[in-house]
Amino acid sequence: MTIKRFNPIILLAALGLTLTVQAHSPKEHMTDAEQPNCKSMSNMDHTKMDTNDPVMQAMMKQCMKGMHPNESEQEEAQLDPQDDGKRSAEQHSEHQH
Amino acid sequence: MTFRVYFKSLVITAALALFGGGLFLYSGLYPMGADVEHNRFTYWLLETLRERSVARSADAIEVPPGLDSSEHLLSGGADYNDMCAGCHLKPGKTDSDFTLGLYPVPPNLTLAHDEHADADSGQIARRQFWIIKHGIKASGMPAWGPTHDDQRIWAMVAFLQRLPDLDPEQYQIITARGETNGSSHH
Repeated sequence: MTIKRFNPIILLAALGLTLTVQAHSPKEHMTDAEQPNCKSMSNMDHTKMDTNDPVMQAMMKQCMKGMHPNESEQEEAQLDPQDDGKRSAEQHSEHQH
Repeated sequence: MTFRVYFKSLVITAALALFGGGLFLYSGLYPMGADVEHNRFTYWLLETLRERSVARSADAIEVPPGLDSSEHLLSGGADYNDMCAGCHLKPGKTDSDFTLGLYPVPPNLTLAHDEHADADSGQIARRQFWIIKHGIKASGMPAWGPTHDDQRIWAMVAFLQRLPDLDPEQYQIITARGETNGSSHH
């Protein structure tokens, strides 16, 4: 009986906890997300573009997502073949005294 | 005899300094408003305290390999735009309400600073990681560690290394979280 009375409170607390966890996830920022202005890429000097430069690769990934959503993963793999190795960086964490 | 006089003078001087310091502290005379700058001595004192503390704390941090990747730039860029650009600016902007109102003024991270020119890239990355994760007391810089994991913070550090090279168009494309509608390119 007592437990039943507290059920709504427990549910609200659980919901609050879930929202807190989600509060800083990247998806939270997607609600009013700005779209990349890929038109500006066409005005750039293509002769000065270095396809090995991570900045250029990042821009191409951003703009390809919308154009060829199915092909984007293949393109990403071709553009950034070292990404698998680089993802090992994600495993690193801070080591302090 | 001479030593006793010397010791007595030392104790009296220390007691007077302590009393004077306490008197000044409780008088409320020091201006705490952000629109009044510290005097040069206070600024030097606080800056030295901050830099030495950050350097010591960040010294043991291990920088992960392969920071300069497009994936890190995309993840870190979007977070930078959402969380940092208001204070630390974006390419093409020279000030914001925060940079005009905060004291100390947040550094403009779109410019290549030479104040840490003697530091190697590893030291700079470690310093940036530590500051993003732990924040700086009484400066307006929050600690992002409680809400962001190390992976996301390292991605922001990776983005910061390339930020001074970006023009406004590149910045906009890299930091936008939304997806393109396929209206451009080629």
